[in-house]
Amino acid sequence: MGSELVIPKWASNPCIMGIDEAGRGPVLGPMVYGCLYCARSYQNTLSTLEFADSKTLKEQKREELFEDLKVNESIGWAVDVIDPRELSAKMLNKNKINLNEISHDSAIGLITRVLNLGVLLTEVYLDTVGDPEKYRVKLSERFSSIKFVVSKKADSIYPVVSGASIVAKVTRDRALREWELEETAENMQRNFGSGYPGDPQTKSWLENHKHSVFGFPTLVRFSWGTCNSYLKEGVEVLWESDKMDEDGTCSSHGKRQLKLSNVGFTSSKRRSEEIESSGKGRCKFFEARKLEQVTHF
Amino acid sequence: MLELRLVQGSLLKKVLESIKDLVNDANFDCSATGFSLQAMDSSHVALVALLLRSEGFEHYRCDRNISMGMNLGNMSKMLKCAGNDDIVTIKADDGSDTVTFMFESPTQDKIADFEMKLMDIDSEHLGIPEAEYQAIVRMPSAEFARICRDLASIGDTVVISVTKEGVKFSTRGDIGTANIVLRQNTTVDKPEEATIIEMTEPVSLTFALRYMNSFTKATPLSSTVTISLSTELPVVVEYKIAEMGYIRFYLAPKIEEDEDEHETKPQV
Repeated sequence: MGSELVIPKWASNPCIMGIDEAGRGPVLGPMVYGCLYCARSYQNTLSTLEFADSKTLKEQKREELFEDLKVNESIGWAVDVIDPRELSAKMLNKNKINLNEISHDSAIGLITRVLNLGVLLTEVYLDTVGDPEKYRVKLSERFSSIKFVVSKKADSIYPVVSGASIVAKVTRDRALREWELEETAENMQRNFGSGYPGDPQTKSWLENHKHSVFGFPTLVRFSWGTCNSYLKEGVEVLWESDKMDEDGTCSSHGKRQLKLSNVGFTSSKRRSEEIESSGKGRCKFFEARKLEQVTHF
Repeated sequence: MLELRLVQGSLLKKVLESIKDLVNDANFDCSATGFSLQAMDSSHVALVALLLRSEGFEHYRCDRNISMGMNLGNMSKMLKCAGNDDIVTIKADDGSDTVTFMFESPTQDKIADFEMKLMDIDSEHLGIPEAEYQAIVRMPSAEFARICRDLASIGDTVVISVTKEGVKFSTRGDIGTANIVLRQNTTVDKPEEATIIEMTEPVSLTFALRYMNSFTKATPLSSTVTISLSTELPVVVEYKIAEMGYIRFYLAPKIEEDEDEHETKPQV
């Protein structure tokens, strides 16, 4: 995604780039990282383009500006859309990756992508995530040829970051607007509001779309603390693999629990007609597909 | 027609208490020889085999072999309603889907009938391999129960090692380790207090204590317990039921993770 297909001539001159994010706080939808780059010589013109922090602009204006910059041949841009599922998965993984780290990785990914296009980046401006100095050092170590400017409120200070924030914000808004809910339950609605945990519309959407077993549609970031209060009444799920742990089948001391059939016990089913449908007694899904648990393959 | 009259009604209660946590549902098989049960736990790691021979009953009538599927939790609930001195009679008509437990007080002034619905249980019948065990330990059942209970507070597994020195029970947990060694001891006043070790070869096996502690619920049935061990065979923990039969628990050992590929062939 982005205008990177044709590499403009100015890209071989020193370039500056701004990176900003949209949708970091909301409990649902993707988090989008956007970047905008141009030749350093174009910097002055850029400041005349009315780019401002995307939050201070009306949606209409943002859309307009985005369309403008798309056709502007002196500007390049790219986005990284992080699926809410990916956020949930990474943040709830056994080896948890926190949101700051995901954000850093996304920014690094964008820089790498733009560099690989052949754009001569010399300066990159970003809004900080976590401690600005640590972030700057991390980035500088990685990309030694680039000068990094990491600051708070970068999106309102540097026009190039403001531009990036428009790219990110518009992309996120469109993604959310056109989001196709994968889930096909009845009464699924799309009135999820802003997605911020405090928004009453978001609150009522979450309340109406929770499921006692599956939680929320995959649009929702399960890793957000907000989700917990909605899922309190959810049913407790017993995982077969957890049960195996309890049984000592996967013992901590590197010992494996044998089954009786491993140690000389021969079994014979009492009723031969039962043998076929070995999913018997399990969920319909398994029964219909005759899936059974096996210990040996 | 089935009618089994057991004067020691409490015995049946004790039997149920010792197996109901291990197995939820099981088929009781009645034949001319006796009243028996064989069932595995849900994870197919342990097996319980019960035999109450017909001679042990005051009255034993079983016209044809029948198999009665019962929920052991429910059966236990009913048997708990019997007094400890009550005479228990198990009755079932041919083709009936219920079984009746009749409790008579010793003085015959109270008679209670409890009818329980039978279940259709799809169970596997296991062929238990005949085996020569490398080591057989007979010891007071209360002592064994105590050891399993104590070790379970330290670790999850017990290593039972039999050497000519004696039998060693050891465990390892997060807080530390424990070792309990029992030596052969036959110089006791009462024969049931003896610890007797018969060994042809030293043997050392690892078992989940969770199961062992389930087996020791049978302790009230017998003052002694016999533990039979052989490499890569299930351990047999047997409680004899005086003049009637036995309750035997089989438990598959735990092995080192890297022995994955290794499998013993059934020795039939």
